[in-house]
Amino acid sequence: MQLFLLSIIVISLFFKVYPLEMQKRIINEAIYLKDTHLLFLYCGLYIGAVTIASLLKYATNVIQLYIGQKILVEMRTELYHHVLQLPLQFYRKMQPGTVISAMTAELNAIGFFLGGALAIPVTSVLTFVVFIGFMFNLNPLLALLSMGVYPLEIIVIPYLQKKYNKLNKKRVKTTRFMANVVNESISGIHEIHGNASYRLEEEKLSSYVHQLYTLMKKLFIVKYGIKFANNLFQSMGPFILFLVGGYMAINGQFTLGALVAFLSAYEKVYDPWKELIEYYQDYQDAHVRYRQIMKTFDLDPEHALLPFNRAPFTLKGNISMKNITFTVPSGVKLLENINLDIKANEQVALVGYSGSGKSTLSLLIAQLYDASQGTVSIDNHQIGDLTKLDICSNVAMIAQQPFIFSGTIRDNLLYGIQAVTADSPPPDRSSVLAVIRQVGLQDDIIRFGLQAVLTPEQCKPFREKFLRMRQIIQTSLKSAFEKAIEFYDATAYLHYSSIRDNIVFGDSLSGQFAVERLPDNPSFIELLQEMNLEQPLLTLGYAIATQSVPLLADFQDDEFFFRDNPMEADEFTTYSNLIKKLTGPQPKEKEARRLLLILALRFIPQKHSIVSLPSAMEAKILAARRRFQEIVVHIHMDHSRILEAWTPCVKAPQFGEPVDFIPFCPSEYMYTHTLLDNILFGAVKSEQALDEQLRNLAGQAFQDERLLDEVMDIGLDFEVGSKGDRLSGGQKQKLAIARAFLKDAPILIMDEATASLDNTSQARIQGLLETDYKGKKTVIAVIHRLDLTPAYDRIVVLKAGRIVEQGTYDELMERKGAFYDLARAES
Amino acid sequence: MMNSWSEKERFMTSPEQNLDLNVLSKITGTQEFLTRVPIFSGAPAGVAKMFAYLAKREEYAKGEEIISRGARGDRLFLIVSGKVDIFQTYKERRFHMQLLHAESVNYFGELALLAEFDWFFSARAWTDVVLLTISREAFTKVMERFPDSYKVMVQKIIKLHINRFVDQGSSLLGNISPEAWREDPPEG
Repeated sequence: MQLFLLSIIVISLFFKVYPLEMQKRIINEAIYLKDTHLLFLYCGLYIGAVTIASLLKYATNVIQLYIGQKILVEMRTELYHHVLQLPLQFYRKMQPGTVISAMTAELNAIGFFLGGALAIPVTSVLTFVVFIGFMFNLNPLLALLSMGVYPLEIIVIPYLQKKYNKLNKKRVKTTRFMANVVNESISGIHEIHGNASYRLEEEKLSSYVHQLYTLMKKLFIVKYGIKFANNLFQSMGPFILFLVGGYMAINGQFTLGALVAFLSAYEKVYDPWKELIEYYQDYQDAHVRYRQIMKTFDLDPEHALLPFNRAPFTLKGNISMKNITFTVPSGVKLLENINLDIKANEQVALVGYSGSGKSTLSLLIAQLYDASQGTVSIDNHQIGDLTKLDICSNVAMIAQQPFIFSGTIRDNLLYGIQAVTADSPPPDRSSVLAVIRQVGLQDDIIRFGLQAVLTPEQCKPFREKFLRMRQIIQTSLKSAFEKAIEFYDATAYLHYSSIRDNIVFGDSLSGQFAVERLPDNPSFIELLQEMNLEQPLLTLGYAIATQSVPLLADFQDDEFFFRDNPMEADEFTTYSNLIKKLTGPQPKEKEARRLLLILALRFIPQKHSIVSLPSAMEAKILAARRRFQEIVVHIHMDHSRILEAWTPCVKAPQFGEPVDFIPFCPSEYMYTHTLLDNILFGAVKSEQALDEQLRNLAGQAFQDERLLDEVMDIGLDFEVGSKGDRLSGGQKQKLAIARAFLKDAPILIMDEATASLDNTSQARIQGLLETDYKGKKTVIAVIHRLDLTPAYDRIVVLKAGRIVEQGTYDELMERKGAFYDLARAES
Repeated sequence: MMNSWSEKERFMTSPEQNLDLNVLSKITGTQEFLTRVPIFSGAPAGVAKMFAYLAKREEYAKGEEIISRGARGDRLFLIVSGKVDIFQTYKERRFHMQLLHAESVNYFGELALLAEFDWFFSARAWTDVVLLTISREAFTKVMERFPDSYKVMVQKIIKLHINRFVDQGSSLLGNISPEAWREDPPEG
């Protein structure tokens, strides 16, 4: 690639000089001899050469960028790889903003420079030399004179540049500080809102903003100083040329054509020179940035990632610590002379006052920190010699405040496993769901699943099962559910559904029958007119608007008052203005009719108590529904009254035309509705009626046919949001516990893993350790609540970085020592 | 049959049949009902109108459970028509406390407007029943806008609760077994 670039550059040189020679000949030969034939020839050659030169320039630019970006990709990947592996200690000092700005903006500039690193100096120097050669060829004296200004420049520019570099270094630093402040305040936005500490945070930033302002001022003064010097020197040349060259031309020592060519050459010579200077500036700039980045991250990862020449160990979980001391950089000893042996499959609780070092001790076993003195070993392997892969395949860790990544619940669950075994297949669904049940997350997952709106592709594998769930509700549970749900019935008027749903009785995947679009749908309006429904619906909309506007005028700021109204809170002003204009329920203006019709179509008789619907309307609307199916969507639903008939209502797609309209038909999945809507297949009469008892009834029935697994499967695809923001604290914690359990590692470290859970959930996890994990896994649990400790094989009590006591719960209580005091303090 | 029905329907529609705005309005009727209920009688028209708007209609068939003891108390019930049996289950037996109907004490659950608690009694439809309910949330939201009315309403609710208490007490005393009756405590 580099060679190719070089050859393009050399070829383009020729096409750069050639036009100059043409210029000279046009003036000296064609114009002088008044030969138009020659003029056309030279002009043609000139434009041809210029075009080729520009094309070649374009090609070099593209290739340069390509090379630069390729290098950038490599550098970025390398750097990120390195940054991720740096020890936790490093991140105690390092602000995330620094890393982010290094990874993005600063590296960008370097990549951009590197692309041109070869091409620019080569092109510039060669072009420079060729043009100067051409000039010397024309007239050595003039060439020498016009070159005279360059040495001056070589002294002035580097001086200014040095100043610029210094300022630039400061700029990089200040920008990093600023990024850190912004990053911190965004992360802690809860606290800022909670304390209304906007002023404090603004002040923090403003000092950096001002520093940056002063720096940038100075920076640009120097930068434009360099530009000024350049420009001045550039204009010096033509001045000398005109003075000396003009004098010589007058005296006949120099042809006019040569002078024009010389002038062009001089201007051209300046371009590569300028490029060289810019190259020099860019080089300095990139150099500064590069040094800065290298200095920041110049630290080696403490442990190798992959074992050399062997598969990762499968450990039993015998842990041994000898004379462990852990000192933080400030010199404080967090742990001192710890000796502790934990047998494989033993369950140990670490307790003590906060700051006693129990968390640190657990982190040493997970290789997250390295002991300052002494050794930790697992199954006689020194932990320092084990690779990251050895540790992560054998140790599962649950932090007190676990981190949840953006993505789905499934992504987060499999995070630990996929890291260890990237190539092997993911665990089967039954084991994933089993863990979900173990940690008590199933109700949440089912709820997420029920709220999902599925695309035909997502739904396809489960469609039959979901329709079976609907069928269960419609048949064996029908009488129980009837009090809570008004089922969709093709022949009945639905009092808990909107007028729109009553007429359209289905949904279009393209959204063409959405309430807001119906008033603009010609075939729908035609239908209303044919059925004599347009006028009554406009009257209904008018009645809703005229009743609601005066009633809600003082309440428009609270959405609560619009919950049972077809009008939405943010539409209040629109309708309030509309009512002022209108004189009656049948306006002429199209927009007014549209607005009234929307209110009427949204109207749900049983929910919206603002007006009532005369029963005569119901029959008309029912008739309109049949007509709509007949002439607009061409669907026959007569069979749907027989629930056992699984014949689809939708006509078969013709010529690959996709199905767009899906009616409320017992055998159709409604892709625009949630899964729950699809199962209930009707409008909810009242949330109160859809109570616990009904939910359990349905849950049991679905469980009996093993249908809930499918719902959970959908629920696992719930997007948790950035840092898991869409989950509650308890859900996040349970998810982290499930993630660790799913890893099924022989050693389990729990750093107050259940502290943020409610009592029931906490007891459930504790019970799991006492039954399923007893004698099967080495468990090291950092625990605050001492009432959870009796189940552990051994309790280790720490105080100020030392082990003061250990034994079973009963032994320690009998001894009446430190543990006894702690327990008494708690109760 | 469906076809002839829809044909007939099509011919029936004529301009005279167009909707009358007065027929459509629903709040006025509810508001009139509310002003006849002791809790809202005397409330300013604006308040009554808002409650009429926010009230929900609930219908129960004879024998159906309306509320069960232990569930979260969240709304006030007003009887529009029918009879409601208030009872408590004690030692697996149902004890009738009160039989409410539209013409007597026609409300229950009034305390739920003021505080959060679990129902301490159960209610079921003695006949087919039509009820209007007002949720605590609606009550609180409206009272935020009419702070002057709030104090009056609270006093009224408490008085009504006392009335019911007295009514319930006397109906229980009327049915109590003679063994429950006590003489004065023995002297000395």
